[in-house]
Amino acid sequence: MSEPLLKLDRISTGYGDLTVLRDIFLTVAAGEVLCITGRNGVGKTTLMRLISGVLPPQSGSIAMNGQDIAPLEPHARQHIGLSYAPQDSVTFAPLTLRENLTLHHKDHSLDRYQGLFRRFPRIEERLGQVAGTLSGGERKILAFCRVMAEGGSLLCLDEPTEGVQPENISHMAEEIRAAAEAGRGIVVVEQNLSLIEQAADRVIVIDHGEIVHQTRNGPDMRAEILEKLKV
Amino acid sequence: MDRRNFLKTTIGALAASQIASPTWAQGKPLKLGFLIPKSGPAGIFGPSSETTTAMAIEEINASGGILGRQVEALFGDAGGAPSDTVQAAQRLWRRDGVDALIGQHDSASREAVAAMLRGQLTYVYTPVNEGGYCHTNTYSLGETPDQQLAPVIPYLAKEHGLKKWYLIGNDYVWPRGTNAAAKTYIAETGGEIVGEEYHPFTVDNFDTSLTRIRESGADAVLITLVGGASVTFNRAFASFGLDKQAIRLGTLIEENTLAGIGEANSNRMYSTAGYFDALDTPAALAFRKTYYDRFGADAPVLNTLGEGCYEGAMALRAMFEAAGSTETDAVAAAANGVSYTGPRGTTTLSEGFAASDIYLATAKGAVFEIVQRFEKVAPGNACTNG
Amino acid sequence: MQEAIVFSLNVSYGIISLALLVLGLAIIFGLLGVLNMAHGELVAIGAYTAWAVQSAGLPLLLALPVAAVAAGAIGWLMEITIIRHLYRRPFDTLLATWGISILLREAIKLCFGLEYKSVIEPVGGSITILGADYPTYRIWLMVAVVLGFVGLFLWYRRSHAGTRVRAMVANPMLASAVGIETAKLARRAFVLGAASAGLAGCLMAPLIRIDPYMGVDYLLSSFFVLVVGGLGSLQGVFIGSGVIGGAETAASTILGGTGGYVTVLVISILFLWLKPGGLYARR
Repeated sequence: MSEPLLKLDRISTGYGDLTVLRDIFLTVAAGEVLCITGRNGVGKTTLMRLISGVLPPQSGSIAMNGQDIAPLEPHARQHIGLSYAPQDSVTFAPLTLRENLTLHHKDHSLDRYQGLFRRFPRIEERLGQVAGTLSGGERKILAFCRVMAEGGSLLCLDEPTEGVQPENISHMAEEIRAAAEAGRGIVVVEQNLSLIEQAADRVIVIDHGEIVHQTRNGPDMRAEILEKLKV
Repeated sequence: MDRRNFLKTTIGALAASQIASPTWAQGKPLKLGFLIPKSGPAGIFGPSSETTTAMAIEEINASGGILGRQVEALFGDAGGAPSDTVQAAQRLWRRDGVDALIGQHDSASREAVAAMLRGQLTYVYTPVNEGGYCHTNTYSLGETPDQQLAPVIPYLAKEHGLKKWYLIGNDYVWPRGTNAAAKTYIAETGGEIVGEEYHPFTVDNFDTSLTRIRESGADAVLITLVGGASVTFNRAFASFGLDKQAIRLGTLIEENTLAGIGEANSNRMYSTAGYFDALDTPAALAFRKTYYDRFGADAPVLNTLGEGCYEGAMALRAMFEAAGSTETDAVAAAANGVSYTGPRGTTTLSEGFAASDIYLATAKGAVFEIVQRFEKVAPGNACTNG
Repeated sequence: MQEAIVFSLNVSYGIISLALLVLGLAIIFGLLGVLNMAHGELVAIGAYTAWAVQSAGLPLLLALPVAAVAAGAIGWLMEITIIRHLYRRPFDTLLATWGISILLREAIKLCFGLEYKSVIEPVGGSITILGADYPTYRIWLMVAVVLGFVGLFLWYRRSHAGTRVRAMVANPMLASAVGIETAKLARRAFVLGAASAGLAGCLMAPLIRIDPYMGVDYLLSSFFVLVVGGLGSLQGVFIGSGVIGGAETAASTILGGTGGYVTVLVISILFLWLKPGGLYARR
């Protein structure tokens, strides 16, 4: 493996004059699940916005498979294989679930979702409803399904388990593992330790806009993270 | 410089080059200021006014000019509000130093221009007008309601058995003056007025008026709408099938308006004026031939308003030459009784107005056909504004 | 009976012609949040196109594509040069499009002069409906506009492209994240709005006064419709046109032209005051 799937090198970003993230260095390899955790408001979502292209970097570089993607807008990053589910406004509320799942696929086919529908039957039951009628957790599942079936090589999920029932969190973890085994790289911003334990290969802890800890998934991980999350 | 000005300058230059002769080079040219509508609802009368004016200037210069001086035409736009026309008149008078103004525009602008001039400049007003006014050194050549309606209303009433008249016009002095005169003549035929309404120039939906006309049971509609408004009204009138219910009589439905109305919408429509393109008197035929030979078959169609501009220039020549001067007082002293020959035949000025033959025409498709001639109808002017 | 038929046809015509004229403004405002002050001038360009095509001796039907292309091209130029830099800055777009409207009006004056133009309808005469005569062209126009709206509605609700547009309107950030090039889609929506303004002017040309200042009238009545109908939906356009067009036709039949105008003004003010979101608000 010459180049990692995703590489952020000493990157900083923020809003206007405000710098939220400083000198972030991280890589994600194909087939790897990287979880990013930290307390609220430390810059996790900002990092996801940076990776997906919603927010431009202030300095540093960002590359996918060795290609500089800093100049690419979100839609262009999607076209080269980056699939992204944001933290908020994860669906098109006035559109039906079917439209939410198919509008970006030329063939309008739901075939690619059959496996996911078996895991999350409620989505399939409600295909004709508009997404605005779903609960918060259900919207998260809808967005999760959309990203998992999008066909990208790099999947970015921002707090996918927010409001989601525990058994569905386990289903999500299984899907994430399966995608990693299929060779995708996955970045998950997550505060739910059970998903991290079930799905992660590596974990990064962010605090005050900087990476404060890195660890691999293992028996001591939960304790390490909890230690870092203390004030 | 817009296209039209460019065109005008070109026409002017052509005209000048044709008659360039050293004997006229001496002395300053005599300047005539023409106020004609180049915008707004009356803008459709503009192009033909420009060509007839150019033709009049060419003819006058070719026959020796006025008082031995070459004549030059200058133009101002009179298509907007009266205040804009006054400004255009002031520019022609004060800046360009014209020797006389010739106005082919609405009556509201005429009142404003006359008030501004206060008799200090000879002012010839050429189009149809409501009559009943007089201003020092202002001469009106166009037809008054007395001329247009006194013979025509009884004629049509008898012909069609008309009893119920509906009056519709734009909201200013000429339509109101015309309708005031019309009421007298209608009453004399035993007819009644079943409706009367006035619209702003910008009106473009007559649905309500047409409903009222239908409900009123009118069998005749007298139209004093101008230009674009008249076109819109007459089209809607016919397309709502009202042409079957009532005849239409217009005192300013000339050839351009008729062309706009279109042959599909001109059924049972009459127009009254002193001049039509279809007129077949020797004077009119000669004028017509010269005009279309000069400007081509595609030239703006001849009509009473364009013809008026030509007559305005001819009338001024007669007045200036009778006075032997362009001074307003000398002209005023000489003007009464001055005759000149134009497309309407020989016209004689009297008390600032002109007696004229009047014609009633009916639309046959998109052209007029003369129905009846009424000879030497007096303008019936009586000063009501002192 | 005849009067009732003509009256109801007049009301229908008032509503439908208004909806046609508002459409372009509603598309641009609803999809992009831009209040296009040059809307009326785009309508005027459509009408002048009809005049130009007719006076060149060509069939009037040809004017429809020409008007759509001409207005669409101007919309495209407006978008790439100015508007796209000003999305999400409502006041700036208002000023910019106001400036453009003045520019377009002057261009119209230069090209076509100041005088009124008139276009002769391609189908003249009248159709007799239950004993009442009604202008043939108006009937055709109403049928065509209603069919056009149904088609547009189906396209917007059902087609792939329509779904992407709705997605962009609902959630521009997410639309971009799922691979929709929102800048391009926004430009297309703007061009579509401009082209439909041109089409409206072209279709209405035989029925209206055509002069360089006509745009202002149509901008005003379009605002009234948006105020009443709510912003940014086809349903809103029709409901707003129904209230404004219906009230104006009915009130001017009873009270005369000025009465109709005053009624519309009062209704609009009441809506701004009591129901600022309109009857069919997007949110």
